[in-house]
Amino acid sequence: MTSRWRLILLLPAFLVLAAAAAEVILGLPAFGDPLTRYGTAVNTLAPALRNVSNVVASVMYDIRGIDSLGEESMLVCAVTAAVMLLRGRRGEDSSEEAGRIPGRAQGERMDAMVLMCRLFATALFLFGAYVVLHGTITPGGGFQGGTIAASSFALLYLGGGYAVWRCLLHSPVLVALEGFGALAFVLCAAVPLAFGYTALQNVLPLGTWKDLYSGGLMVIVNAAIGVAVIGSFGALLLEFMEETRAPKGRVDEEDT
Amino acid sequence: MNVLAWCVAAWLMGVGIYGVVTSRNYVHLIGCLSVCQSATYVLLLGIGFRWGAGPPIYYDHPPGTPAVDPVVQAFVLTDIVVSAAMTALLLAIALQVHKRRGTLDPQHLRPLRPTE
Repeated sequence: MTSRWRLILLLPAFLVLAAAAAEVILGLPAFGDPLTRYGTAVNTLAPALRNVSNVVASVMYDIRGIDSLGEESMLVCAVTAAVMLLRGRRGEDSSEEAGRIPGRAQGERMDAMVLMCRLFATALFLFGAYVVLHGTITPGGGFQGGTIAASSFALLYLGGGYAVWRCLLHSPVLVALEGFGALAFVLCAAVPLAFGYTALQNVLPLGTWKDLYSGGLMVIVNAAIGVAVIGSFGALLLEFMEETRAPKGRVDEEDT
Repeated sequence: MNVLAWCVAAWLMGVGIYGVVTSRNYVHLIGCLSVCQSATYVLLLGIGFRWGAGPPIYYDHPPGTPAVDPVVQAFVLTDIVVSAAMTALLLAIALQVHKRRGTLDPQHLRPLRPTE
């Protein structure tokens, strides 16, 4: 099918969709109207009941915690599938050699740049850990902070080059972090269940308002998600980078 | 003004679908899917918005002050995480397709055809 035909077919589809969208848009409540009852109830009750100042976190990790458990499993599944697909026939072997295009000159890295990248990567990782740990108090949490911390790995690569980067990051460590985080989350859901409570019930003491420990079980769930996200995104980055490398000892790149 | 946010969401979805339909490269197509997904962020955050309300994080202001809906914000967070994971998965599939078929143009790929 040529792209011309696709566009011709798209036109009636868009006409139908536009009519449906117009119907829905006119039926929706006006922008900025007072909240739904659920949102209002959560906003009123969550700070008092759970002792956390970040109500979004209390929705994520406690009130709708089972949703987050599903989301976390989805993330782990998607990352596992991506890693399996990327490894393909390459298997688990990895190379520490950078792939190069023959004839392209490779300049020396400047020490200043390497140093700056390492300093900033450390700072970025610490900032990510800070965002994770303060997830129940200020904006942030496991998912956001984990992504920030994992992006420091890219900065390390930028500064140190591939060989140095592979010395610092090990695939088994990242995969173990991912699995450990996901397992800790599942345990947070399962352990209260084993003692006769509901899954993810907040059985720990709630802690002090605006303190690093506030929200009870949420603190553990939050940290577990952070660890899992760091592992997941680190493993993804590593496998995508591995794709650009020349396989060690193999000249042919055929993969069919 | 009342319907602007909803129209933006519908427009983003439409633009994304147009991109998916006319795409000539899978990487571009994955980008278009992300545009479609961002329509859902606009829609959800628009539903949770309330005039004159602050963030649902009571660090600077005491609990009880008007705040936007925290539930849809949590939904958007879920949405973004799933979107990022799916994008990574799709890009991995695109890499494998390119390895096996040597092209990423949807028009030159026939499904389930044995590789030569």
